[in-house]
Amino acid sequence: MDTVLSWIIFMPLLGMALGGVLRASLNLLRLLAFGSSLLVLALALALAWHFDADAGMQFVMIAPWIKSYGVTYYVGVDAFSLILVLIIALLMPLLYLYMYREARHGYWYLMMALQTGVMGAALSLDLMLFYLFWETMLLPVFIMIGRYGSNNHPFYAMKLLVMTVFGSMAMLLSILYMGYGFYAEHGFWSFALSDLAQDSHGALVAAGFLLAFAIKIPLPLFHTWMAGSYGSAPTPAVVIMSSVMAKLGAYGLWRFGFSLFEGSLHHFEPYLIALALFGLLFFALHAVMERDLRRMFAYSSGSHLSLIALGIMIQNHYGLSGALYLIATHALASAGIFLMIGLIFARVRTLEIAQLGGIAQSAPKFAFFFAFFALCIAGVPGTGGFVAELLIIIGAFEYGLATGVLAATTILAAILFIFWMLQRVLFGPQSRQTEGFVDLGAREVAMLAPLVLLLLLSGIAPNLFTPLFEPSLALMLGGRP
Amino acid sequence: MIYELFLILPMMLIVLGALMLMLLSHREAPLNRNMLSVLILALAFGLTLSRLGEAHSVFVFEAIFGRSFIVDSFSTLFDLMILGGAMLTLLINHDYFKSRHYFDGDFFALVLFAVFGMMALSHAHELISAFISLEIASLSIYALVGYNSDNPKSREAMMKYVVLGSLAGALFMLGLALIYGATGSTELGAIAAHIAAHPQDAHTMLIIGGFFVMVTLFFKIGAVPFHAWVVDVYHGAPLPVTMLMASTFKIALFAVILRIYLGDFAALGDFWSLPLQILCVLTLIGGSFLALSQSNIKRMLAGSSVVHAGYMLIALNAITLGNFNASESILFYLMSYFISSVGAFGILSFLAAHEHKQLTFEDFKGFGYSHPYLAAMMSIFMLSLAGFPSTIGFLGKFYIFTGAIEAGQIALAALGIFVAFVSIFYYFRLIATMYFYDTPKTEQHFGFDTTTVLILLMAILSIWGGIGTALLPYLPTPDALIELSRHAITSLD
Repeated sequence: MDTVLSWIIFMPLLGMALGGVLRASLNLLRLLAFGSSLLVLALALALAWHFDADAGMQFVMIAPWIKSYGVTYYVGVDAFSLILVLIIALLMPLLYLYMYREARHGYWYLMMALQTGVMGAALSLDLMLFYLFWETMLLPVFIMIGRYGSNNHPFYAMKLLVMTVFGSMAMLLSILYMGYGFYAEHGFWSFALSDLAQDSHGALVAAGFLLAFAIKIPLPLFHTWMAGSYGSAPTPAVVIMSSVMAKLGAYGLWRFGFSLFEGSLHHFEPYLIALALFGLLFFALHAVMERDLRRMFAYSSGSHLSLIALGIMIQNHYGLSGALYLIATHALASAGIFLMIGLIFARVRTLEIAQLGGIAQSAPKFAFFFAFFALCIAGVPGTGGFVAELLIIIGAFEYGLATGVLAATTILAAILFIFWMLQRVLFGPQSRQTEGFVDLGAREVAMLAPLVLLLLLSGIAPNLFTPLFEPSLALMLGGRP
Repeated sequence: MIYELFLILPMMLIVLGALMLMLLSHREAPLNRNMLSVLILALAFGLTLSRLGEAHSVFVFEAIFGRSFIVDSFSTLFDLMILGGAMLTLLINHDYFKSRHYFDGDFFALVLFAVFGMMALSHAHELISAFISLEIASLSIYALVGYNSDNPKSREAMMKYVVLGSLAGALFMLGLALIYGATGSTELGAIAAHIAAHPQDAHTMLIIGGFFVMVTLFFKIGAVPFHAWVVDVYHGAPLPVTMLMASTFKIALFAVILRIYLGDFAALGDFWSLPLQILCVLTLIGGSFLALSQSNIKRMLAGSSVVHAGYMLIALNAITLGNFNASESILFYLMSYFISSVGAFGILSFLAAHEHKQLTFEDFKGFGYSHPYLAAMMSIFMLSLAGFPSTIGFLGKFYIFTGAIEAGQIALAALGIFVAFVSIFYYFRLIATMYFYDTPKTEQHFGFDTTTVLILLMAILSIWGGIGTALLPYLPTPDALIELSRHAITSLD
């Protein structure tokens, strides 16, 4: 059972290596991709089944890596990383379903490499290992945007790379500094999270980490790569960026913020909350003004990630569980919406909102799914998004009246741009481009249906999911309300 | 006596081999001189390898040479690196040698002489013999740089290198004279004893002399502000010579730098520290600008080699501040830089041999589609040079930056990391060029031959060096390399 996490991490890489060695044909490659992702899904479900919600870190595996500096291969899963693991494991087969007809071999290889990268980042508990996965997961995305993207893509690929690497380099410096601090105090080297968490670390060290996460999430002021990269990336890369990598930024804020920087985080707390509140509104306004569908949802995604960051930073029970819930539901919903945007682009070759319209007339199934995901993102009752946003708003009110009022009102901005967008894209007269818009096929329905079911389930019966992480939250918050 | 002969046998082999190649150089009958010189190097390598792990410290032929040549575990490791480096350089350029007409017998004789000079440099325990070894290596390399006399660039490069290099050599002599004047000896042990016997503030002349010596060595490794020659010389020289200079020669230079810093000048660390820090900052920043502004891959790699020298200066500075552990990180970094840069240059030489390209960024547009496997390996080397995690280059930087932080040099470590971030840009520019543009050319495949197999080997080493773990038994890991370096350093104390 120890090695199950390693299998989950490295299975896709194995598939990729196998494909490369065998010089796989397209069919074999597709088989390898599906096979590895389905195996990972099965393992992840088994993991969730055997997961003990009361036990903290589980399925731990430690092996030496660089002995002279105490760097280890150290992986483990707790409630929070389990959520990410499940999301990644679920999304990958769906993405493969989306790109079923993709004939470019490189695409499949990159996706498999990407899965290993994000999975590793979600599961590693040694800081050097985390840094390794954190950096390497960027590479496939970089090449996918630059190679398969559109609209000035080489530029945006480079911009994404340069900005995120800048953040992670700051994190690296912090990691090295903490490692040395541990050595100076205890006389031996270690980069394990559990070891480093024993010492307290200063605000500057925390700043290195925060910079990396703020760029990855992205919080406003650190977001300039976002719209361009989302706008030019191919659909699977967008889905991974918005549903997984951005969530990994929030995950990092949680995982390291609350273990390493318990004390020093207080320095940043008011600024981060202000930034998150500002981001909520700022990104929502950007989304309202945006003319391109994909860029609009890039900003919408930014707005929701600010909400997640807010939920994490207010540090009370409602806020944290709401943030967790929103991470899961927003990952599913935004995956759905970006997949459907990809479908629109494949059908009409444009994403300019002004040139769309009237899709509902010729493609009712399409309109239903699209509207469902959009409403879920807006947080309409009955969908998972509602539960999550409600929890965070309650948390925000508990934190302070002003914060609560601001959070609650700015969320309404999402309603504004979502409904206006729906009106312009789905309804009204058909434009020249959307005439004879082809409705969803069976494969496409199969790809979207699991997301819809999960979102409905999480909206109607949140009690099915909360027991997974409630005990860990209670444990973490300890005496706090 | 016999034992001492055995100890210097590898060096003798190289000299004899060089002489033999010279005598054979005008033989009419076809002769694979490349393989012959590789064979000689391999013999010497094998002999040296058999001594690896022994911690002896012997002054060879003390009655004749005094204490000027030493054989210890430090020099053994450096000999191995130099011999291995030269061997790989010759082998990986196999195709290139065949494609150019001007590589005759003398070329390989000169390479062997250069290797002899480098080995002698790592054994030198006295400044005059160090100078002589340095000049043996340098003179051979001057000639090698200008070897393609049909190419005006090559001639220009040689001229530049000879003039500036001789000037630097003269400074070494001046420094040496000052040191001799101050201490009455040029032997490292005696200098160290002199420093120990006198108060700290009585060493003005010695320190000035030491600076002059250092200037020469820093000139040779291309530290800013002594870097004016680097890009032009690296660009003008034939590719195999560029590789030899960028990797193997640098290894030899660090052998003597480390021996001086860890040996006799260690007590004066405080005086070196500040100038070294300034040099370090200048080298890191200047080198980055140099690398950023190039449009030719060879020149870009040349510029970035200055930056890599800067990283090693960070570690050197940590040594002067008393963190002797940092010397291991220099050794590791030399190996890691060697592996990735030889791989990258190897691909360039392979392309130059087969396709006669100019090797600008433009030429690499769509390279990922016309040459998928070579492009993948080139990407690995670029990642490794940029210090991306999961490659050996990352571990090299990891050791260096950790060592700097250990020595209290957080600002320098931060600057190093920032420069590594800048380097992402120019290394990834090549990756982006290779993959982001279409090419009208069809896919080309090359079979396995000496060059491609070695490039592949370097790529595997780059990855293995970065992620190889202690999980798999019986395989050497990065840990083993660091252990080896640690063992080598012990003989200096």
